[in-house]
Amino acid sequence: MHMATVLTINGETKSFDAPPDMPLLWVLRDILGMTGTKFGCGIAQCGACTVHVDGKAVRSCVLPVSAVGSRAITTIEHVGTTPAGAKVQKAWLEAEVIQCGYCQSGQIMSAAALLATTPNPDDADIDAAMAGNICRCGTYVRIREAIKLAATGKQA
Amino acid sequence: MNRTMRILAGIVVIAIVAVVAGVFIIRGPGPLDFAGGTKVALADDRAGKPTGAPAKLEKASLVERGEYLAKAADCMVCHTKPGEKDYAGGLAFKLPFGTLYSTNITPDTDTGIGNYSDQDFLNAVQRGKRHDGARLYPAMPYTSYTYMSDEDVLAVKAYLFSLPAVHARAPDNTLSFPFNQRWAMIFWSAVFNPDTRFAPDTSKSPEWNRGAYLAEALAHCGECHTPRNLGFALDNRKKFAGAITAGWHAFNISSDKATGLGNWSDQDLISYLSLGHAPGHGSASGPMGEAVDHSFSQFAPEDIRAIVAYLRSVPPVSSPDLPATTAPVAPASPKEGATADARGKKVFASACASCHGWSGESPVSPMATLTGTWAVNDPAATNVAQIVISGTIRHTPEGALSMPAFGKAYSDDEIAAVANYVTARFGAKGSNLTAKDVAELRGQTAE
Repeated sequence: MHMATVLTINGETKSFDAPPDMPLLWVLRDILGMTGTKFGCGIAQCGACTVHVDGKAVRSCVLPVSAVGSRAITTIEHVGTTPAGAKVQKAWLEAEVIQCGYCQSGQIMSAAALLATTPNPDDADIDAAMAGNICRCGTYVRIREAIKLAATGKQA
Repeated sequence: MNRTMRILAGIVVIAIVAVVAGVFIIRGPGPLDFAGGTKVALADDRAGKPTGAPAKLEKASLVERGEYLAKAADCMVCHTKPGEKDYAGGLAFKLPFGTLYSTNITPDTDTGIGNYSDQDFLNAVQRGKRHDGARLYPAMPYTSYTYMSDEDVLAVKAYLFSLPAVHARAPDNTLSFPFNQRWAMIFWSAVFNPDTRFAPDTSKSPEWNRGAYLAEALAHCGECHTPRNLGFALDNRKKFAGAITAGWHAFNISSDKATGLGNWSDQDLISYLSLGHAPGHGSASGPMGEAVDHSFSQFAPEDIRAIVAYLRSVPPVSSPDLPATTAPVAPASPKEGATADARGKKVFASACASCHGWSGESPVSPMATLTGTWAVNDPAATNVAQIVISGTIRHTPEGALSMPAFGKAYSDDEIAAVANYVTARFGAKGSNLTAKDVAELRGQTAE
């Protein structure tokens, strides 16, 4: 069963047909061709598929498209246009966070959502917000450093 | 009669009176005695028909009506082992004194019920008596099904006999002595099975009578939601007051305002029964999730309303183990709110927070909201631990939403820690589960 669906993604209205229980991640990648958001585990346990739903970090692999409603979606393709997202991306480059990169769109989305609500996070804030984003390369130390850099504008 | 004989006769009379009184006290009231009105035999009821399939199936075949009733009685869930053929049996019920396996009720003549006559089937369903004369254990809820009309029981039989025969023999039960003595069930049944059909209450509406028939005879709500007495039979003095069944807490569904359904709106109850979710009350998981998926979600809307009307009439019984009010929304910041269990918080941050949120209000779906649910407000954390272990899946008309099972990924210690953290953060009172408690809960679920 496909349903005509309209979502607000990255400030634009997108219309498409999808089964109501299709996870948003499949819509983004397979229907809309926005492949910046990654598939990792499919059960909300790795964080690679993180997007923003009304500014909150949500795992798009378990979010049925019918549950999004009128809430605004922001993906890695557009997060650089938000103040927190721009700071995070800049800091990520400065700190050379990325190794293989697969998890990094999710890491950046979670970090940007954290900074939007908590502009000066301490280690405990970072632990709570980032614990669900897993990195096989182990870039956690640089992720923490880059979040602090994005918050303060200076190297920790 | 000499003096000794008189004393002996006196002792015998006293013993008989004591046994009768004991049976009377232990047995307690029947499931519908609380209503108190005048009961009439089904055949003499003129007000409306509480039995049978709903109006939309009036012209349907016997098999179709039987299918509706078999779903209403939820036969399949217990008579199917997950991953195996429907109704072929083999589901393991783990009891403190051994394991019982459900039987094959497909029409296979060798391993199923293919040789059952109508009378054999009535004897099994209404009286707990097998084709070969042996007694059934009351894991088969025949003390509830006994209230079904003969016509309805035989419609279920017609449906079962329309299914493909599956050759599958259930494993032998592993009950220990004295529970492996099936013949002893003759006495249990004599005391605890009323062996009587549903009798409509003329002081109540036709809707109430329909609801009573569905809830008591078919859906057998009390088998999980009513506490059991010394004899392992339902204690209707505490009707629907909640109980632990197969390792899950079946919560209070009496009309108690604080700990029962008294404060649920009709719409909440209709939504919970037909979809397995009501806003602010959580989602059905575990055995109730199965009851919704395979039984209540298939009910005609008027039958759901009838059950709601009936539930409303069940006298309030409070659950002293539950808080009088559920906890409000937790703070949005992980720094605020209860942090009783640091290890539990770590597990929650990495495995749970992304879907359930730090406030307990899910950013994914209201079905995943923890705030307001009995699971997180139960200081025993029974269902929180079970859902973490086995996960859950909620089917809705828009598709399914699921939570993965963490039972194999996390140790008993970690599951206890996260359950303690979750109940402290989102509930009224934090739990104190240990790894041993979690291991015991794992051991109690049917599989």
